[in-house]
Amino acid sequence: MNRAVITPQKPRVSQYGVDPKYITKRVSEYPEMTSIVLKDLFPDTPEVIYPGEKGVPAVREAAEKALEKVDMSMIKPGDSVNVCASHHGFTLLGGEPYAELLRAVRDVIVRKTGTENVRLRAGVGLRFRETEEYMKSFKLDEYYKGKVKGVAPVDEGIPIETEIGTLYGIKAVYDADWIVHVHNSDVREVHFHRQVDRAVKPFGMSYARIETRSTYHQNLGPRAANFVARSIFASEFVQKKFAFAAFLDMSPSGVVGVDADNDLYALNDRVTVGGCKNYGKIMTLLGEIDECIAALDFPCPVPYVFAAGVIYANFTGANMDLFDLDVPLPPYTWYTEAFYGKNGPLVKDVPPVNPAIKMAVHNYAWGGYPSAFFSEHIPTVVVGREQAEVMNRDPQNIEYMSCSVVADSLDAAMKFAYHTAKTDKVIIFDGAAGGINVSESLAKLLKEKAPQVNKLVDEELLPKWLRQRGVDPAIIQKS
Amino acid sequence: MKLITMVARIDEEKCTGCQTCVKVCPTLAIKMNGRKAKVDVEKCRGCGNCNQRCPSYAVTMEKLDKPYKVFVRIDDLPYEKIEGLCKKAKLNPEQIICYCTATRAEEAAAAILKGAVSPEEVSLLTGIRTGCKVECIQPVLRLLEANGVKPKRPEGGFQWYGRTPTAWEIPEEVKEKYNHRGFYFNEDIKLLDAVREAGKEGK
Repeated sequence: MNRAVITPQKPRVSQYGVDPKYITKRVSEYPEMTSIVLKDLFPDTPEVIYPGEKGVPAVREAAEKALEKVDMSMIKPGDSVNVCASHHGFTLLGGEPYAELLRAVRDVIVRKTGTENVRLRAGVGLRFRETEEYMKSFKLDEYYKGKVKGVAPVDEGIPIETEIGTLYGIKAVYDADWIVHVHNSDVREVHFHRQVDRAVKPFGMSYARIETRSTYHQNLGPRAANFVARSIFASEFVQKKFAFAAFLDMSPSGVVGVDADNDLYALNDRVTVGGCKNYGKIMTLLGEIDECIAALDFPCPVPYVFAAGVIYANFTGANMDLFDLDVPLPPYTWYTEAFYGKNGPLVKDVPPVNPAIKMAVHNYAWGGYPSAFFSEHIPTVVVGREQAEVMNRDPQNIEYMSCSVVADSLDAAMKFAYHTAKTDKVIIFDGAAGGINVSESLAKLLKEKAPQVNKLVDEELLPKWLRQRGVDPAIIQKS
Repeated sequence: MKLITMVARIDEEKCTGCQTCVKVCPTLAIKMNGRKAKVDVEKCRGCGNCNQRCPSYAVTMEKLDKPYKVFVRIDDLPYEKIEGLCKKAKLNPEQIICYCTATRAEEAAAAILKGAVSPEEVSLLTGIRTGCKVECIQPVLRLLEANGVKPKRPEGGFQWYGRTPTAWEIPEEVKEKYNHRGFYFNEDIKLLDAVREAGKEGK
């Protein structure tokens, strides 16, 4: 008997998406849908602490334990501390685990150092008020006693001298005696960072000005770009302020634990191993899908909708090994997008977008990220005129609907997709936790392919990926 | 090229005169009128920066009754000049340099060759930097620099601070020190050079 579907993440009230009242049906509700638990696909999937029986208190417990080992002696009573956060953490498993980590970090800093001047600085992607929404919804503004600020890359900047020249941070991130970096190890946009310096990346993104982000996405190259973040973090300016880092340790199944360290590079190496091993397996497996309809059904911009712990943008590149640094360009990054000329790719190294995706059904996804690339390359049907209007009103998505069609209902969209894509395999990006909601036909394929993928990653791919990043595979046993 | 569909409107009751909107507007479309911000609708490109940063939520984005396009023609300039400027900035003329508006380097280059001397003017003419507002400042600064222009940063504004390093400027000792950690500097330079040198037909 097939497994029941996993409850998808609820729609969220946000200025970047439609009112949840318009999400009247979820793709997982169809009778042909089932679910697969990741542990059943890969038996060595790590045990998670969340979701779990203990609920969010398990995150608090893990955070306090991890933070106990961290040296905070540099922070004196009365010193100001900026706890630096990023919007992505709030999209994981409904956001509460990350919010709890941010609460725990504040409490432990206050308890261990005696300072009460702890502020929250929450960075964003391209939706400048997104973290303001999250902080309010999780009452972090109250928890941090009003000392919270959502910071955006167009806010006042500060020059930072680095090994490669002047880059620019957001002034409000650095306006304290100390900074604490609170993030997560989710691989997220591995098509951009390629799991190189994942733990350091927010210094070149969430905490950085437009100039720095533009350096990353325009000035260096799809692999060298990752150095932007490290050059900022390694700068004398940042090193003088950096106290420690605390990370929600993620796997595709959920929160594995909390990792904290005064040495961000050591933490980074651990994140690299976990990311390559656990996310590498599910992404390699998703690359085995031969044909499918991708259903987008999650409160996030189009590329960030989740399935099996990974995002849709990565699935659009699953026809290649995104972890393999010998591959110059993935099928989707902004570098890839930039290298499409008027009549096709400018150079032969531009790989095609995952040809297995025969159609995308956009049942629920936000604007706030330039997404026209996806609808230009993948036949897309958007459910409801309200969602179409969200995209039309979004300055980042003026052309998204130029290449999409609108269906009045999800039923009509799915009927259209089945008829047109001529496949009954469906993968649902709805944020199901611990597993993945798919059609029965796709579940069968994934179960068949998983054992060989497991072996391939463990024996061949993982050692190569770690070698390329200069990380000793022996750390696997230690971590 | 950008289709302009929205315009910013200030609610004077809510406006506190803090000038944040003035400091973040990429086309300098907002000025102070006494202690209240005022939008020049002819210069507004509907990017929403003001709406997204106003601390008192005094800006709304309204749909225009008649959307219109802004673009700079490239066919009335010798293409060699456009191509020359792009390549000097180490860009392919057909390369997309703004993902939200799909603006290609050639259009921004044409704007500069026709006299634009600042990122604000390039944005006004082409619509570049009026989508996500984040990712396309560097190619614009590179193109201006390649044309011998040193743009003046808007006084007191946060629109931009300065040009930053490119792949070709990474010191050799940095490459040597870090490339074993997965930073593929030279390999990426090879790719970027190939893109720059690719002809109009590609490949």
